[in-house]
This record gives sequence, C-alpha cells and structure tokens, in this order.
Amino acid sequence: MSSKSLKYLTGPLSGNNPVIVQILGICSALAVTVQLKPAIVMGLSVMAVTAFSNLVMSLLRNGVPARIRIIVQLVVIAALVILVDQVLKAFVYDVSKQLSVYVGLIITNCIVMGRVEAFALGNKPWASFLDGIGNGLGYALILVIIAFFRELLGSGCLLGFRLIPESWYINEGGFYSNCGIMLFPPMALILVGCIIWAHRSFNKDLQEK
Amino acid sequence: MAKFNTNSNTYIIIYSVVMVVVVAVLLSVASLSLQSRQYENMLNEKKDQIVKALGENPAETPYDSIITEAVVFDAEGNVLTNDAAEVFEVMKDLKGAFEQGKYPAFKAATGVVLPLYGAGLWGPIWGYVALDTDMNTVKGIVLDHSGETPGLGAEITTAKHQAQYVGKSVFEGEELVGITLKKGGADKSNPHEVDAITGGTKTSDGVSAMILNSLNYYKPYFDAVRAAAAAKEVESNELNNENNEQ
Repeated sequence: MSSKSLKYLTGPLSGNNPVIVQILGICSALAVTVQLKPAIVMGLSVMAVTAFSNLVMSLLRNGVPARIRIIVQLVVIAALVILVDQVLKAFVYDVSKQLSVYVGLIITNCIVMGRVEAFALGNKPWASFLDGIGNGLGYALILVIIAFFRELLGSGCLLGFRLIPESWYINEGGFYSNCGIMLFPPMALILVGCIIWAHRSFNKDLQEK
Repeated sequence: MAKFNTNSNTYIIIYSVVMVVVVAVLLSVASLSLQSRQYENMLNEKKDQIVKALGENPAETPYDSIITEAVVFDAEGNVLTNDAAEVFEVMKDLKGAFEQGKYPAFKAATGVVLPLYGAGLWGPIWGYVALDTDMNTVKGIVLDHSGETPGLGAEITTAKHQAQYVGKSVFEGEELVGITLKKGGADKSNPHEVDAITGGTKTSDGVSAMILNSLNYYKPYFDAVRAAAAAKEVESNELNNENNEQ
C-alpha cells in the first residue's frame, strides 16, 4: 500500500478525526456510548456504510447532476443501509437485533454524508473507499474511548463484565457508588470536550490562533 | 466518452427517474426474496422466548417439547382456535390482535405463558410472562424492546432484572394487581413489587402498565381456572369430611 493510501486510513484517526477535529457525528456519539458493546457495533457499522457509500458515490461521481447531488447521496446511503439491514435480518438475526436501534442513526450520521460530499465526489473509488474506512475507524475510536469511561464509572462494568466488585457498593455495606451522571448524554458531551482539549494540547497545529 | 451536460433539466429528470426505479426494484427484490427467512427467524425467536419465560433453556428444551397447546382466547375467555399455525399468525401483530380482542396463550404442563405488549419511552415493549398452574405465581418473564436506551431502559432485557420477577404473584386476593416496578427500590417482602431501572423510570412505568393491562385481557381465563381449582378443593374437603364422619 502506498504511503498516500496509508494517509487516507491513518489521517482520520488523529489529525483529521471526524468527531474531535471535524466535529461531525456528535449526536450519535452521545446516544450509543453508555456501554462499550453498542459503541463498538455502531463504530463498525458506520465504518462499513461510509466505506461503501464513498465507493458507490465515487463510481457515480462523473454522472451525478451537481444540482441534485445531495438527494442522490441520500438515496444511495439510505438504500445501502436498508439493504444491509434486510440481509442481516435474514441471515444473522442476532446481530440485526443488536443493531436495530442504530440502523436509523447510521443514515442520519453526518460523517457519512460529510465524507461523500467532501471527498468521494472529487476522488477515485479506491481512495474514497479507504477514506471511508479511515473515517469510520476514527469515529469508532472516539466512541470506544467515551464508552470506556462511561461504562466503567457509570455501571462499574466493561463489556458487561463486572470490574468493581458488588461488595464495594454502599447498599451491600461497602463505600463505593456509581457515578450516575455518566449514564446520561450530557456527560458524553463533557467527555468529548475533555478529549478535544487533551488532543489539541498535544497537537499545537490544530489550535486556533 | 462524450461529455453530457449534466446540468440540463432533461438529464436531471431522466437521472432521478432511473435512480428511483433502480433503487425501488433493488429494495423490493431484496425484501421479497428474504421475507420468508426473516419470518422464520422471528418465529423461532418468539418460540425461544416462550420457552425462556418458563425458566427453561430453549437449546435443551425446544418449544414443541414443553408447550402442550397454543390457543387464542376472546374477551370472555372462550377458545377461538387451538391451531398452532393460526395462533402464530395472530402473534405476528400482537398489538392489532389485542385491539381486536384476540388473546393468544401457550399452555404447558407446568403453567401458562402469556404475551405482553405495551409502550416504553421510545417505542413498543413486549414480552412473555409465565404463570404457574395457580394463575398467580410468576414462573418467569422475558422482556424485549425495540428502541429503549442501552444502559438505561434497555436494562429490562437483562437476566438480572428479569430474575427479580420469579416467585412474585399477580393477584391480591381476588383482585388482579400485576407487578409494579418500584422507583428507589422495591420492598422485598411485597409480592407485587420489583426494583425499577435506575435512569429508566419511564420504561419501568411502561413495563408495570404493560403487565397489568396485558394480564387483564386474560382475567376471564384466570377466573375460570381459579374457580375450577377452588371447586376441586371444596369437593375434596367435602370428601374428606364424609370420610371422617364414617
């Protein structure tokens, strides 16, 4: 893989991250990060959708009338998501049950349309596909970081496994209590803010003058 | 390749029409060709949940080995049908069935499983409750939802939450009271209360209402079974008395 292709993949992980640099997809980052498992599932699904919608739109890019391109993008993305949902329901029912809530959220995720509009319409298919994978990974990374703190501090578990023993809790005679606000969406927004703060203090070039 | 004028009105209209037709055909073909598989998956899931409500493992005890009869009751508790295929046809749209006065039930040797349907915070919630042969003691419950928040309302699907219902009772004397999800923690000695979900108060209220409303539809059936059981008891008591007198 050439260094240019590699850049499409790794750029969105930090320097051009869709969530903490482009500030896209915040809404779903608040909704699905109470636990680690749905965050991972959502991250992977968005990655698949951005990759394939980028690929399809890049293949179509020379024929799409500029005046209705947003509508075309929306149709392609929605059709892809519905198709994937139907196939999952027929062949891997358990996974589709896991995803049920998020399928609708994927269509409305600003990262998907943002990448199609900003990248796929002006680049070759392979580069667009890699860009989709990269941005999906960058999104998943932030989701996992937020979900890690929210699940650990909010319910004392990770991926459903209990890390903080039951006997530590106050109602079992211990001294510990879960941080209830971690379960609510505003805390995710505060965590996103903290991540952006930490990220920018390490990357001076991202700081606004 | 000849360059089209991609901004002419004719091109845009033809492009949109072709796009819509292609996408519509694609989605219809996918939907029609996958429908039967999807339906089968849903049917199997329902059967598994019915077995789970009875506290059995569906992998070891399949539906057919434990459910002796599937029936549909009307509002007076009369049996409309006991054909399994027809019962599952009714189960396809439980909300509609309840509105039309069709109430499915699944009988086993150890009790009866009844479907539940209600509203959560974001969308419908449903489930199955298994009652012992006394039509009062809860043998187990399975709860499911389509869109409750993970970590909050969606916690109703966890084994930890559902285990609380086992052994609770839905009747207080002759009155059907159901089971209430109590915010701030249930009184352990109260047979009609379980703990609500922290941060999921609306969903918890929805579950309480769903249990009471859904079970109310089966009240005539419960009354009939309970009356029959009581009559049997009286009969056996009389028999005992007669024996004692002799």
